[in-house]
Amino acid sequence: MTRITVGNHYPTGSILHRTDPRVKLAGTVLYVTALLFVNNFLGFILAAVFIAALIKISKVPPRLIFRGLRMIFFMLVFAASINIFFTSGQNVLLHFGIIRITTEGLTLAAHMIARLVLIVTGTSMLTLTSTPIQLTDGIESGLRPLKVIKVPVHDIAMIMTIAMRSIPNLSEEMDKIMKAQKARGAELDTGSLTKRALSLVPILVPLFVSAFKWANELATAMEARCYRGDINRTRMKEMKMNAKDWAAAAIMLASVIAIAGTRWVI
Amino acid sequence: MFKSQNLSFEYAPHDSNPPPLTLKNINISIQTGEFVAILGHNGSGKSTLARHLNALLTPTEGTLWVNGLDTKDPASTWGIRQSTGMVFQNPDNQIVATIVEEDVAFGAENLGVPPEEIRRRVDDSLAKVGMLAYASHQPHQLSGGQKQRIAIAGVLAMRPSCIVFDEPTAMLDPSGRKEVLSAAANLNKEGITIILITHFMEEAAVANRVLVMEDGEIILDGTPREVFSQVDKMQALGLGVPQPTALAHKLRQAGFNISPTILTIDEFMQDETVKKILKGQANANN
Repeated sequence: MTRITVGNHYPTGSILHRTDPRVKLAGTVLYVTALLFVNNFLGFILAAVFIAALIKISKVPPRLIFRGLRMIFFMLVFAASINIFFTSGQNVLLHFGIIRITTEGLTLAAHMIARLVLIVTGTSMLTLTSTPIQLTDGIESGLRPLKVIKVPVHDIAMIMTIAMRSIPNLSEEMDKIMKAQKARGAELDTGSLTKRALSLVPILVPLFVSAFKWANELATAMEARCYRGDINRTRMKEMKMNAKDWAAAAIMLASVIAIAGTRWVI
Repeated sequence: MFKSQNLSFEYAPHDSNPPPLTLKNINISIQTGEFVAILGHNGSGKSTLARHLNALLTPTEGTLWVNGLDTKDPASTWGIRQSTGMVFQNPDNQIVATIVEEDVAFGAENLGVPPEEIRRRVDDSLAKVGMLAYASHQPHQLSGGQKQRIAIAGVLAMRPSCIVFDEPTAMLDPSGRKEVLSAAANLNKEGITIILITHFMEEAAVANRVLVMEDGEIILDGTPREVFSQVDKMQALGLGVPQPTALAHKLRQAGFNISPTILTIDEFMQDETVKKILKGQANANN
């Protein structure tokens, strides 16, 4: 038995966790869009307050959110340096060869960092407060209107569900294959980088074979249980928006409009 | 429930150099409520026959009727699959969802059952296989026997009249095997037809009818007692018989007067001659 959890869902039972996933999904999309509009510090401060409030409500420990930021640290440094060193502007602070540091460049870099940090914290709030299943169901039901223009919404959601289902299976299988290869003398974690990369080949090939076999058998089992795509299918858990969900949606919409609106205030 | 007439099947019918038929001229009739075990070697065609029973495969020649519906008629496919559920060998390869109750609901959802009714059926089916406490668990954290019971619950939620088990215990440990078999036996008591494909003789002994397959044909058909009393024939086929039957057969060959219809350890222990042997009172040829 393995202890793999898919996604980084952190259950606390807060009101944010219980909010309809469609509200959270739409909120996240709008929030990210709004951040692209923001062009002054008032907007970023507003967005930061909004996210801080969400973190407080969700009861998720802030260190989990900062952990997500660590992963984009180098990207931040890179994006910031490009902006600092290569933005042309009137107000030159330092001139050194082709490098010119300007006030405009510094402001742009600060905006860039603020924007990226706020986008990452915002989206990780979505995944921390919803299970992958809720997200998939949210996508299926939230995107339903797109069926009119022939987007295979149901199929996309089913593919996501099965992909999530396959993760523990594949990792168990990989573990088994690695043990089998090690038992026959394979050296998987010694040697140079190329040698280690090459020693992965005899693991990946059987893993692929078993993944195809798994997919084939699962397809048969699904057919045996009358699966035929989206035809005449119902769901046990139907998503219904209650009063709280509508209130949450209204609050999110208002905050997002306020954040984007700062562009025209100053 | 099932009736076939000259059912034949080959895997590559359009091959110019056709391989031998996987199923040859099978004529069977299985009544509702029966508990049928199908025995046979690997490659004897027993899984192929099982897959015909819910129209996953259709006959190359001949006809199979399920509840009067011809499996070759595409219009009846979904009705047949609803009435004949299937539990496969590998528990990991038949669970679709990442939460137990979602998986149990899958079949009923496909049938378009209303949500409240699905909820009722899921709870009911999980209770029947004794897995209600695990409703919100993740399948990959369960044991093999538990996963198979989830698969059974998933089939039950479709309200079938028959369940086909395709070697459901081959990948399980002894306790998992017991769990799955007793679940199958309990469902049979509730009137559900059970078809159990297996190569464990002890499992077949629980059924009320045994079919033995060899090279795509049914060569023996009868009650477990009738089939397993033909010890020499079963052993010649390389299938063997349940251990108590085999022991009784050996003792009979040695000249003891032991009943030829013994199937279980209890029956063996109840036999008059065995009792005498254990007391040291019996001799060969008496």
